[in-house]
Amino acid sequence: MARMKFICDTERCIECNGCVTACKNDNEVPWGVNRRRVVTVNDGIIGQEKSISVACMHCSDAPCMAVCPVDCFYRTDEGVVLHDKDICIGCGYCSFACPFGAPQFLSQGAFGTRSKMDKCTFCSGGPEANGSVAEFEKYGRNRLAEGKLPLCAEMCSTKALIGGDSDIISGIFNNRVATREKNGKYPGSKAFGWTTAYGGPDTPAPTPTPAAKIPGAN
Amino acid sequence: MKFNFKTLGLCFAAATLLAACSEPPEIAAKAAKRPDVAPYMGADNGFMTKNWTPGNQGSWTESVDKRTQGQNEYSRVK
Repeated sequence: MARMKFICDTERCIECNGCVTACKNDNEVPWGVNRRRVVTVNDGIIGQEKSISVACMHCSDAPCMAVCPVDCFYRTDEGVVLHDKDICIGCGYCSFACPFGAPQFLSQGAFGTRSKMDKCTFCSGGPEANGSVAEFEKYGRNRLAEGKLPLCAEMCSTKALIGGDSDIISGIFNNRVATREKNGKYPGSKAFGWTTAYGGPDTPAPTPTPAAKIPGAN
Repeated sequence: MKFNFKTLGLCFAAATLLAACSEPPEIAAKAAKRPDVAPYMGADNGFMTKNWTPGNQGSWTESVDKRTQGQNEYSRVK
């Protein structure tokens, strides 16, 4: 098992926002919080208008993990960056540190009080029991434990957003780039956010949070 | 004797102030990280796919990898 990642193919994304809707609906994300968003740049410029579906990229050296004052983040063996909402204090440092604007907060009261942080979990829940009601209420679905992949990627109508094992999805993407190039089209070979999230080819693979650091873990 | 009372008073005030800086053990215990269960252990609900065995990492990986290839139209149309 390599690492779980997302790729958004900017040559295919049609800004339908299906991924945003699927994520919100399946995880019952509250009003005011979007774990995934579609960003469009170069509006109206023919040939240069591109849309990108953005969420947590589960970075190799995640800045949110580095800045969290209460150390509520952990990385799973699959390379997914998750957090424990029972530890989070809603300080918002992760939101300032994240280059993708992934951490979200629900403004729930007067004087700008914020909720605990909420972000994409790669549909793999949190520390509660897999598939439990408690896990669903805090983090949404745990599709990985059901043998599935994140819904945003699985239901993408143009397959612009693909998610899964990095070796497999980069193979799928590279094949598309090669085919477009062969057919004389713009290859669109830049995988959005990959350099920022995972570094260059010489960047060492991330290590999961060691069990010794998590009391009670085997 | 007067000097001793003053010293005692200062010691008491210092001890009271320092006690306010401590964290009750029940709060510290709540903030501890909890273990997470690996996804290949399966989910306790009725939504699991059928083609793998919960607890068997190899079968889970194989099943998820196969599903990942489902996002590849080039392999689907052949």
